[in-house]
Amino acid sequence: MTNSAHALWVVMFSLLAALVLHTLPLPFDWRWYRPELPLLVLFYWVLALPHRVGIFSAAMTGFAVDLLEGNLLGGLALGAVASTLIILFTYQRVRQFSLLQQSAIMGALVALALLLESWSQQLMNVPAPDYKLWLAAAIAAPTWPILRKILRSLRRYFEVN
Amino acid sequence: MLVLILCLVCLFFLRDTAGLASTRVVLLDGADFVYRFSAAPRDVWASMRDHSQSRAELLEENRRLQQENLVLRGKTLQLAAFTAEISRYRALLRSSQLVGHEVMVAEIISVTSDPTRHLLILDKGADDSVQIGQPLLGAKGLMGQIVEVGTHSSRALLISDQTHAVPVQINRNGVRGIAEGIGDLDRLVIRHIAATTDILVGDLLVTSGLGGRFPPGYPVAVVSSVILSAGADFAEIFAEPLAHLDRGRHVLISVASEGPAASSQAEQ
Repeated sequence: MTNSAHALWVVMFSLLAALVLHTLPLPFDWRWYRPELPLLVLFYWVLALPHRVGIFSAAMTGFAVDLLEGNLLGGLALGAVASTLIILFTYQRVRQFSLLQQSAIMGALVALALLLESWSQQLMNVPAPDYKLWLAAAIAAPTWPILRKILRSLRRYFEVN
Repeated sequence: MLVLILCLVCLFFLRDTAGLASTRVVLLDGADFVYRFSAAPRDVWASMRDHSQSRAELLEENRRLQQENLVLRGKTLQLAAFTAEISRYRALLRSSQLVGHEVMVAEIISVTSDPTRHLLILDKGADDSVQIGQPLLGAKGLMGQIVEVGTHSSRALLISDQTHAVPVQINRNGVRGIAEGIGDLDRLVIRHIAATTDILVGDLLVTSGLGGRFPPGYPVAVVSSVILSAGADFAEIFAEPLAHLDRGRHVLISVASEGPAASSQAEQ
């Protein structure tokens, strides 16, 4: 298996770009409205290429985000792995859903990942408010159609498989 | 399964194990590089704007700063004499000498992206002898403390973060308390103050120096509301931080200097 034949660098590159976009400087209170781009990009690739992108990529993406945000390392990784497992079990059905249903599911999966992160933080005695989940889900859902359009055209152009 | 175990191992061991400190520094350097990278366009834009400032504007600013400098110098004229006097009193009372503090200017690179945390990324690190626990000051008051140090960058926790608490006392009468952050930029909460305590709206809170992390006497916040409810043992007290936590590009890192207060040689 060679990377160049499957153009897997596109996957890597899009995840890295999502991480950089995730760190763009924003005014203090605007940070609430930042979509969880790394998670959404990860979910797209898991849905599109479940045989290539799986729980290992999920854990790495989670680690990277934890590291950037300065949270306990491994918290979001756990959450991302859980959400990715759900997609891996159900991707054949999720692919058939309408865009609206898919968006709702992606919002729920982002919320699930963040929920597990906040649980792991509470386990380690770091306070983590729950209302972040709902806002993140509400913002992730409308982001999904746009993101899917962009990533799908990337995937077709570079023939990632 | 393996991946899950990896996550849990990181979660439980990486934060506190002393042997992994160097690994943490490497990881932090990597993360902060990403922040520098994504902040680069903003910095380029800012420097372009600096270059295109007109001569008249610069002259105006220079004049204003010179006046400000003169006023500040005037205000500090008596400081040396006061410090010497206090050192003498402290010697008479046989209490320990005041420790002098130097400051280092650091630039804020970015704010971490998790909205529930109030973490700043600064451009000074271990190479500039920044250490964990050093207080962070703004122009008007205490801002926070350094919590993680990388090679060329460090992270500072603001006093408004939910995990931060600072021991304070009321400047007017010395009543002590602990000001905790609640994740709100302009509110700190002071818990467990008995309802009969003498504390009023407008009281200045300064660091008390208890706990040994923050030096005593830095202004922190002003009491903004005191709520007394009938039957409650404790008053509900909120305070507003003095420092502008979300404004400005530069902060001061306070560094304890070696000897006693700088002007103690003034005492004969």
